[in-house]
Amino acid sequence: MRAVILLSALLATPALAQNTIPPPSQNAQGDVAVTIYNGDLALVQDTRQLNIPAGRSRQEFPDVSAQIRPETVTLSGAGVGVVEQNFDFDLLSPQALMQKAVGETITLIRTNPATGAEVRERARVLAANGGVVLQIGDRIEVLRDDGLPVRVIFDRVPENLRARPTLSVTVQSEGAGRRPVTLTYLSAGLGWSADYVALFDENAGRMDVQGWITLTNNSGTPFVNANTLLVAGAPGGGNGGYQRRGGPIRQPGTETSDRERLGDFYLYPLPERTTIANRQTKQVSFLDVHATPAARAYEYRNGWLGTTEQPMSANTVLRFSSSREQGLGDALPAGTVRVYQRDARGNPQFVGESAIGHTPMGSDLGLTTGQAFDVKVRAVVERRERVNSERWRTTMRYTLTNARPQPVTVDLMQGGLWGDTRIAEESMASERRSADEALWRVLVPANGEAVVTATFDTRF
Amino acid sequence: MRRPRAILLGLSLAFGAPPAHAQSIVTSAGPDDVDVTIYRAPGRSARTPLDLQWLNGYALISETRRIAIPAGESDIRFEGVAGGILPQSAIVTGFPDGIVERNRDAYLLSANSLIDRSLGRRVHLRRTSSATGAVTEQEAVIRSGADGALVLQTPEGFEALRCTGLRETPIFAQVPAGLSARPTLSVRTRSSRAIAATVTLSYLSSGFDWQANYVANLSADGTRVDLFAWVTLASSDETSFRNADTQAVAGRLNRERVDREEREEANLQLRCWPSLRTHHIPLQSSEPPEGDSRRRNMVMNSPVAVTSVGSEDIVLTGTRIPPPETLGDLKLYRIPEPVTVAANSQKQVAFLEQNGVAVRTLYRQRLDPEEDGSTQRATRVLVTRNRTEEGLGLPLPAGRVQLFALAGGRPILLGEGSLDDRAVGEDVEIVIGEAPGVISRIEDIAWGDDWQDHVLTVTNDSPAPVRYEAEFDVVEGDILRPRARLSRRNGRPLWAVTVPANGTATLRYRLVDSDD
Repeated sequence: MRAVILLSALLATPALAQNTIPPPSQNAQGDVAVTIYNGDLALVQDTRQLNIPAGRSRQEFPDVSAQIRPETVTLSGAGVGVVEQNFDFDLLSPQALMQKAVGETITLIRTNPATGAEVRERARVLAANGGVVLQIGDRIEVLRDDGLPVRVIFDRVPENLRARPTLSVTVQSEGAGRRPVTLTYLSAGLGWSADYVALFDENAGRMDVQGWITLTNNSGTPFVNANTLLVAGAPGGGNGGYQRRGGPIRQPGTETSDRERLGDFYLYPLPERTTIANRQTKQVSFLDVHATPAARAYEYRNGWLGTTEQPMSANTVLRFSSSREQGLGDALPAGTVRVYQRDARGNPQFVGESAIGHTPMGSDLGLTTGQAFDVKVRAVVERRERVNSERWRTTMRYTLTNARPQPVTVDLMQGGLWGDTRIAEESMASERRSADEALWRVLVPANGEAVVTATFDTRF
Repeated sequence: MRRPRAILLGLSLAFGAPPAHAQSIVTSAGPDDVDVTIYRAPGRSARTPLDLQWLNGYALISETRRIAIPAGESDIRFEGVAGGILPQSAIVTGFPDGIVERNRDAYLLSANSLIDRSLGRRVHLRRTSSATGAVTEQEAVIRSGADGALVLQTPEGFEALRCTGLRETPIFAQVPAGLSARPTLSVRTRSSRAIAATVTLSYLSSGFDWQANYVANLSADGTRVDLFAWVTLASSDETSFRNADTQAVAGRLNRERVDREEREEANLQLRCWPSLRTHHIPLQSSEPPEGDSRRRNMVMNSPVAVTSVGSEDIVLTGTRIPPPETLGDLKLYRIPEPVTVAANSQKQVAFLEQNGVAVRTLYRQRLDPEEDGSTQRATRVLVTRNRTEEGLGLPLPAGRVQLFALAGGRPILLGEGSLDDRAVGEDVEIVIGEAPGVISRIEDIAWGDDWQDHVLTVTNDSPAPVRYEAEFDVVEGDILRPRARLSRRNGRPLWAVTVPANGTATLRYRLVDSDD
C-alpha cells in the first residue's frame, strides 16, 4: 500500500523524460593564447564570447587550467567590472554527492533479488558519516544494510560540485549582450625546453644541428587550438645560471640574435595554432643549421693529490660556436644537445648528450658528451716531501695513452693549486689558466703514450 | 545514433577559433625495418650483473616505415614504438614536405583511460538482472572527472556507478580520440599531394642494457688462458623488435637527467559514498573502524596493466660478432645478422674467442705498514696486457669474468672477477678473489722515540712458488726504510717477491716519523 503511495509521490516530482539529458559538455575555451616560460609557468589568455545580462551576474569559466593560480586571474571586457571571484575545487564524487544531500530527499529503487521486481521509494538522507542513514516515511534505515541491491538517484547535483575545478566570477555589467571577455591567469603544469639533434661528421669537422622545442602539458587541461608563444627564461626565478668549471659555455657570446626579444628574454612563437593535449609531449622545429664547424677535443682534470688506481678515460668534448660567422648563428634556449655520428654503414648512432643553459649568440661551447674508450690518463702522486715546516714538494706523473690510429691532443688540467703554489719543474710548459689550475696541451702519438711530470711547491 | 562523428564534429565546431583542420589519421602499425643499438647503464660497474627487472641502460631505435601520406593535413601515428621511448629524442625524416609537429600522448587505451577520458561523454548504461537475466540499457552522460568517482546523469537523475549492488557497466560508443593500445608517437604533416613515402623514425628508449661476459679457462701450468666472451643484450621493454640489425656500444656516454613523461597507468579507484553497515560495527566499540570503512569503500580497483618481467627468454645464438668499429670515441659491436630483440628477454651472442692468452697470476695486497699482529689474505689477480704479443690486442668491453680450470677432467670455477673497458695496449688486471693460502702478517719488533721496526711475513701453502706484491700506504710525513730494495708503483713503495712453495718470505722495515 505504502509503495503505491510513494510511487505516486515520485511521479509528482519532476521526472525527466528520456530525451532531456543535456548534451555532453563541450570545451568552453574560446580563443586561447598560451605563453610558456621555462620554470613550470605559463600565462594563459582566453577570450570567450559571453552573453552577459545588465547588472550583477555570476559567470562561470569551466575548462580553465586545473593548476590555475586563482589569485592571478584578471577579467576584462567592454563595460564589465568584477565584483568577486571564486575558484571551486569541490569535485563531484559519489561521496561528495551523498554528503551534500544530507537533509535532502533522494529516490531509492530496490530490486528484489529473486524476481528482479523494482520498488521505488523516496527517502531523506539524515547522515552520511561512515554509513548512510536514511529516513523512509516514518522509519530509519541504513542504506543497503541488508546488502541487497539499491539504486540511489539524486534529483540534482549541488551547484558547487564540479567535474573539474571551475572559476566563477561575479560581474557588474553596464549593458546586456554578447561580447568578448578576456580571462588572463598564470598556471603551473606547462613547461618547455629545447632539444637539439647534432649530427657530427668528424672527418669533415662539420655538424648539422636541428633544434626542437619540446612542450609538455601536465596542467590537467587541454588547450585547444592555442596560439602559443615560448619565452626563453623564467621570470623572477632561476638559479643565476650557475655553471661549474668545465660546463658547456666556454666563452659567453656578445651577439644579438635576429629573434624577437622582450626585455631580457628571447621569444619563440609557434608558427601556427596547435592543440596542446593534457599529458602530451609536443615538439616543433625551430632551428635547422647545416655544416657548422665543429671539432672534437679531449679533456682530463685531476684533483689535488689525485692518484688514479686505474687509467681513467679522458672526457670527449665537442667544441663549436653559436656565432653568426662561424657557428649556429642563433641564441640557444636551454635544453639537451644529443650528438650522433654515422657508423661504418652510414647509420647515425648516438654518441652522448649534454645539457646547455640559455646560451647567447656568439658563445664558444664545449659539450662533454662522454668519455673516450681509447684515450686514457693515469695520474700518480710520485713523491711528496716536506721541504720545511712551511712548504711541501709534490711530484706528479701523468701518463696519457692513445689507442687510436691518429694522434690526439689532450687538455690535461691539474686543479687545486690555490694559494702561492709554484710549479718548480715540469717536463713541458704549462699554461696557468687561473691561480687554481695548470693546463698542459699534450700531443699523444697514434697508438702511443706521452708522459708529463711536474713538481709543485705548495704550502699544503 | 549520435555516435563518434557527431561528438567529434560538435567538439570542433564549438571552438571560436578557426575550425580544426579536416585532418585524416594514418596509422602505421609497426616498422618494416628496424635497427637497435644498445647502450650500457651509465652508472653500473662492471662487477654488477644485469638485473633483468631493472635495466638502466638504453637503446637507440631506428625504424623505417612505408607510409601512404594523404594530400592535405594528416596525423601519422607510429604505433609499436618502444614503451620506454624518450619522445624528446625522436628524429623523424623522410616526409616530403616536412612535418608540422610531433606529439606523444602518455595515455594508452585501458580500462582506466577509457573512464578517465570520458568526462561529459554519452555512454550506455547496461544493467543485467541477477534474478532473471533481463538486460536493460539506458543512456547516460558521465558528469564527473574520474578522480575517484563516477557520477552519471541518467534520465531519472544522478546516480553513482558501482554503488548499487546491481550488475551494471557503462558501454562506450567509441574509443576516445588519440588513445592507442600500444605506445605511439604521432606526427602532424601537410602534403601537397597523396604520396607513398619511406620515413625513418629514430629515438632513444630506456629499459635496455648489455654487458660482456668472459669465460676464461686456465691452462694446467697457469700461464695461459683460453678466453671466450659473450655479448649479453637485455630488454625489459614491452615491444619486441623482429629481425633487427643490432649493435651494442661500449664506452661511457654522458647522459642528462630528463623528465620523461611516464606512461599513464593511473591507478584509478572508484569510490562510493560511505557504506558502513550495522554489522561492520564492532561490539564494545564506540568508534566506527575508519580503516575498515575505507577499505570497503574501494568498490572497484580497476585492472592495471602489469608490466611483468616474469617470462624472460634467454637466447643464445650461434653467430659471432666481428671486431668492433670505432664510432667517435666509442666502440660499436655489430651482430652480423638480423636478430629479434624480444620484449622482456636476454640474448647472448659470441664476440670473442682467443686461445692461449699469456697471463701471470699475482697475489697482491695493499698494506698499512703500521699494522701490528693482524693477518690478511692476499688477493689473486690475473695479469696480462691487451696486445697481440700476449694473444689479445682488441678492445675489451667491461664485463664479468669467470675463471675456470680443469681438475680431473672437469671444469672447476676458480673465481669470478670483472674487467672495465680496456683499450688496446692497456694493462689488464682481473681480480679473481681472495687466496686462502697466501697470508701476510706484520709484527712490531723494536721501537725508539720516532721510529718503529716491523717485519712483514708472507706464507704460501701451495706446492708451487707464487708471485707476491705488497704496496704500502705510508702516512704523509712518515718515511719507510726497508732492509731490502723496494720499487715504487702508483707513488707507493712496492715489495715484489717470489714466495717459495710451501714457504715464507719476510721483509723488515723501519718507519720513521719525520714530522718533528
